[in-house]
Order: sequence, then structure tokens, then C-alpha cells
Amino acid sequence: MRWLLLMTLGGSVAQTSVVQSLSVGGATPDLPFIMTVFWALRRGPEAGCVAGFFAGLLQDVAAGGLVGVQALTKALAGFVLGLAGGRLWVANPLVQVPGLVALTIAEGVLRFGLLQLFHFPAGLGALMMDVILPQALYNGVLGAACIVAMFTVETARAYVAFRSPRAR
Amino acid sequence: MKFRRYGLLIAVLLVCLVLLTVQTRGGGTGRAADVLSILTTPAQIVMTKVHRSAVSLWVGYREWRTSWSENDQLRAENERLRVHSLQVAETREENDRLRRLLGLRQRLPMTTLTGEVIAREGGGWVRSLTVNRGAGEGIATQTPVIVPDGLVGRVVRVRPGASVVQLLNDPASTVGAMVQRTRTPGLVEGDPGGSVRFKYMARDGAGIIVGDILVTSGQGNVFPKGLPVGRVIAIEDRGSALFHFAVLAPVVDFARVEEVLLLTGQTTQDLAGHFARES
Repeated sequence: MRWLLLMTLGGSVAQTSVVQSLSVGGATPDLPFIMTVFWALRRGPEAGCVAGFFAGLLQDVAAGGLVGVQALTKALAGFVLGLAGGRLWVANPLVQVPGLVALTIAEGVLRFGLLQLFHFPAGLGALMMDVILPQALYNGVLGAACIVAMFTVETARAYVAFRSPRAR
Repeated sequence: MKFRRYGLLIAVLLVCLVLLTVQTRGGGTGRAADVLSILTTPAQIVMTKVHRSAVSLWVGYREWRTSWSENDQLRAENERLRVHSLQVAETREENDRLRRLLGLRQRLPMTTLTGEVIAREGGGWVRSLTVNRGAGEGIATQTPVIVPDGLVGRVVRVRPGASVVQLLNDPASTVGAMVQRTRTPGLVEGDPGGSVRFKYMARDGAGIIVGDILVTSGQGNVFPKGLPVGRVIAIEDRGSALFHFAVLAPVVDFARVEEVLLLTGQTTQDLAGHFARES
């Protein structure tokens, strides 16, 4: 739980400071959302829900928008993905990356729907083309990079364990 | 186990809905958001400083890579000079920026407060900056925020040690403005694509042309009159429509803003002349 909160806080702070310089054509990745997805896949729906809630809450506070919107959509996304993680073949990277793209789009549409209750002025078409789709693609690319990095670390760790004298 | 799992989800959703309901009824997020910002603001400051240092190191490294074929002695000398030159250039640019900001501050006939940008949000849903001035320095919501080039936006959230500034190109931003040449009034609004539009100008007699400068109109008592907003780059004419709109290039490059002025005082003077000298 402590690691979850620390990483969520770090990811949300990085989102408003470091991540903005990674902008490509105006699109930025949603780092807290990617972290929520990985927590949900690794630790299940409860961890996904809590990570999504705190990540969204911190983003809402930092961005100055309505506090609770992203907390709600990210918590729901983390929970649903945590449940799906136990039922679908989500360990495969070929499922994880397109899944991350699709989940980003779903979270964006859900957020748009929720904001409609508060008279959000922008239309779904413009948001989809300018914000949601570019961010979904960026999240997919960054998610793939994270999967490769995690695979490399785990392989290196397994190799070191195999070569150590204790293993023999 | 299943009950606990769904109970957690329902509790989280209820908390969110209560937060949203409290805000829509004018209650604000109050102390809870302030407490969260007390945690995040110092972390944002540290993260921004680390990030800037890392970028400086990276730039230095790339410069070093371009001169790898030279001999070691020359390369070392070159590197030392380049790093020194980068530091001098960075210092000079910062000095120039601060000098322009200070010059503007001294010319303006109202009280102002300088601030440093410590965080940015530019995803498209919300476009905002966070500056290191908050309730402790007497900042209030709706405080206009400017740089020597013109208007940046307005303060929409005030925390104990920081304020969130809604940028001009935020989709929810609306600013009363007018064409400086013809005095035609209208509204400047942001859109999700990041551009800025001048809308609701009367079709007859607007006389707006590409290249026209827009300034704040001073109506609504939020922004003083005459703050530069943008330059017309295209005019969308919808034939028989009563209204048409112009696409603007903001006078401020929001991605490069590092220091700002918060207009804490008020004035009824037209401030356009103070900015004309800058451009």
C-alpha cells in the first residue's frame, strides 16, 4: 500500500512537471493512468481502484479542474481492468498494449460523459481527434516501452539468479 | 472477499460523486484539496528543478557528442567552453526575461506580483500552469496573469503555496476582447485542439482582417483593458451566418512561459501602450 501511494504521488507529480516536455504534436502520455493499469494487472481490482482514485484525485487538484472527475473514471478503469486481468489473457504484451490504447479511449469517453453533466463546452468529435486518440496512441507506445523494460529487468534478474553460486 | 471488493469500488465512487456534488453547489473542494496541494506543491518544485537540471545535462552531453572527432585536448577545452557558454547564455536569457518582466512591472499603473511556473497541464482537457504564489501572498481567483508579450490567463484555483492558472487556450476559457484597430468587440475562446478563436463579433462592420491585433476589452471587470491577446491568422466566413469567427495566434507561447506577473491590483486605464513598447 505504501509503495502504491508513493508511486501514485510520484507519477502524478511527474505528469504535471516532467511529462509535459515529452509532448509530441501536442499529445502527452497519461503516466498516472499507465501506472493505474499496471497496478490493476499486477495486484487486482482493489489496488487498481485505489491507485486510479488517488492518481485521478491528484491530477484533478493539480490541473485545477473539477475535483473527482478523473478520480472516478480512473478508479473505475483500474477496478474493471483488475477484474478483467483475472479472466482474460492479459499477460500477453500483444493484448496489453492494444488494451491500454482501448482503455485510454474508454476512459476518455467516460470522462467526457461525466463532464457533460457539468456542461463541459467542447464536443466529443474534437476531443477525440485532438486529445483522446493521440493520448491513447502515446500511452500505447509508452506502455510497450514499459513492458520491454520490465521484461529486460526480469530476464536480467533471472540470469543473475541462475549464475549465482547459491543456485548451483 | 467479493463483498469487500465491490464495497471498495462503491465507496470510491461515492466519494467522487460527493466531491463533485459539493463543487457544483458552490462549496468548493476546500481544505481537502489544500491538504493535497501541500503534499504535491513541494514535490512539483523539486521535480521541476531536477528535470531542468537533467535537460541541461542532456544538452551538454549532446553538444559533447558533436565534437567527438577532435583531439582530446581540444575536445576538453571545447567542452569546458561550451558548458561555460551554455551557462552564460542561459543566465543571459533568464536575465533578459526577468529584465523585461521587471520593466513591465514598473510601467504598469497597478500592483503586481511576480511568480515562477512550477507545473504545467497541457493534455487538452485542461490547459493550465501552476505558479508558486498562493493564498499566503494574497492571490485571489480571477487574478489576471500576464507576461511581457501579453495575456497568459487567469487564476482559477488558489492553494496555500501555489495557484493554478487557466490558460487562454483552455477549452473552458472565455475572455472579453476587441480588435485593436477597429474596436470591434467579441469573445476569445480556447478549443480542445489548442487554438484560440475570436467569436461573436457582429458580421456587419466588423472589418477584421488577417494580421489584426486583439486586446482585452476590459468589460466584465476581470481583465484590465488593453492586454494583448493574439493576432488574427485566419477568418472563417460561414456565408449567410449572422456571426463568423477568426482564428488567432496567441501573442504568448504558453509552452515557454517560465516567469509571470500576477495583476493583484486594479486599474481602469488602457494598458495597450505599455505592451506596444515591448513589441
